[in-house]
Amino acid sequence: MGLKEELADFDASRNRPPEVKAIIRRGIDHVRGSGAAGLRIGERAPDFALPNQRGERVRLSERLSRGPVVLNFYRGVW
Amino acid sequence: MIRSLGADLMAISPELPDNTLTMAEKHAIPIDILSDATSEVLKKYRLWFAVPGEIKALYLEKFGLNLEKYNGAGRWELPVPATYVLDRDGIVRAGEADPDYTVRMEPAEVVASIRNIVGGL
Repeated sequence: MGLKEELADFDASRNRPPEVKAIIRRGIDHVRGSGAAGLRIGERAPDFALPNQRGERVRLSERLSRGPVVLNFYRGVW
Repeated sequence: MIRSLGADLMAISPELPDNTLTMAEKHAIPIDILSDATSEVLKKYRLWFAVPGEIKALYLEKFGLNLEKYNGAGRWELPVPATYVLDRDGIVRAGEADPDYTVRMEPAEVVASIRNIVGGL
């Protein structure tokens, strides 16, 4: 089973009430309409420097000089 | 798998640095967990959004979730969940961003894309 199927199963297993599902659905549609669509394939990723969990500054361009990079944007640990 | 192919993995969120982990735990995490405390990077990547009022109320009242506890005062803002595979020139070779947070890029696709990049060197 792939991650997409696992996540779909997990979401279904939460059994949220229809009114909660409707609010979440409206929220997702709102964000979809806001134009926050991310980068396009073939586009150059903007450089950045951010602190990691040890307080060290990590610069994307510096890491790219060593090899490919996978970036994962996530909402939070909650 | 990603690292064994010579690729680096970074996770980015708007959360403030986590103070609940010990230094040993922080050193044991093999990837970089980056804190975008001003949302500057989320905006550059066109992934930033302000949490709609209805969702904010749902989180606070039904889920007991106050984003300010994680993101800092006044920061009801999040990224669209996204994954990007960058080649050494920083070009997006594969990726997915979906406001529906229950949809994520298949790890197998990430690995296939890295293989493609590394194999093409």
